[in-house]
Amino acid sequence: MKDNIANALAESPAREFAVYLLGNVPGLPPIAQSLHILAIAVIMASAVMVNLRLIGLAVPSQSPSEMIQRLLPWTFWALPVNLITGGLFVVARPNRYFYNPVAEWKFQMLVPVVLLAVVLYWMNAREPGYWEASHTRRNGARVIAATSLLLWLGIVLAGRWIAYTDYLYFLYE
Amino acid sequence: MPIPFPELWSWLETQPLAEHIGFTWWFPFLESLHVVGVGLVVGSILMVDLRLLGLTALTYPVSRMTKELIPWTWGAFILTVITGFGLFMTRAATYIENPAFQIKLIGLVAAGVNMTLFQFKTFRQVPNWDADAVIPTAGRRAGLASLALWIIVIFAGRWVGHII
Repeated sequence: MKDNIANALAESPAREFAVYLLGNVPGLPPIAQSLHILAIAVIMASAVMVNLRLIGLAVPSQSPSEMIQRLLPWTFWALPVNLITGGLFVVARPNRYFYNPVAEWKFQMLVPVVLLAVVLYWMNAREPGYWEASHTRRNGARVIAATSLLLWLGIVLAGRWIAYTDYLYFLYE
Repeated sequence: MPIPFPELWSWLETQPLAEHIGFTWWFPFLESLHVVGVGLVVGSILMVDLRLLGLTALTYPVSRMTKELIPWTWGAFILTVITGFGLFMTRAATYIENPAFQIKLIGLVAAGVNMTLFQFKTFRQVPNWDADAVIPTAGRRAGLASLALWIIVIFAGRWVGHII
């Protein structure tokens, strides 16, 4: 299926358009990359801070439930910005990203971390204070938070390593 | 403007450590940590700036927010300085002449000056407006300036690699 999507993208007018934009709009590649990093900063200030709070590492005076409600929407807005600014490069060079193992890891980490954020947000929206209501739920939230933190860290590191896959093979040798 | 200390930068890039970073997986390793650090620095500052601007977290006193976030900002900042210096030394003489790198440095200094002025002027009267949603104009200006400067630093920083 991956081959089909990569091939379809490679031959699609969307690819031509993305290549045209990246090559002809002055400064677009660094602009898109800078916006991508800014959106990462927003995720650090929202999902990552919520997770740090849940495991008891940051902003102790702020309420976990209130943080989930106030901050996770910022993550949900930053993600489409990352999708567009990153997607531009993927559409322009599908074969470079579809067959890059680090890019694959990045997406394998991205799917669960977004789902975990949705679970945190959704349960708290249905029942405010959900994650603080019992000992079991508090522990559940801690496990979700610790897992999410590792995934976010992995995603940001992997994002930068996509461009350096060769070094990684060098490491294996 | 002539580049100050030209010998220093050329000397720096011939150091064994600089060559080791430049020719091994250390470069992407440091670079990826640098991005994590940048995200945390700008993310934690963004939270304070938006509070100063009266846009978010209005139920929390400003002093409490800054007190709890500053360790993260400084910790992450130290990480970016160490990793950034490692990246810089690999091609120090070239980076120092890179206009994007120069803008980034100026932006960093300006952000530091802005933060210091805020700390020693506006923040001294913080008990008077700590819990207010709308804080004094000087504080809001400092928040806006900080936001703008850090965005410039991110853009200039990402641009560095496109000029070399």
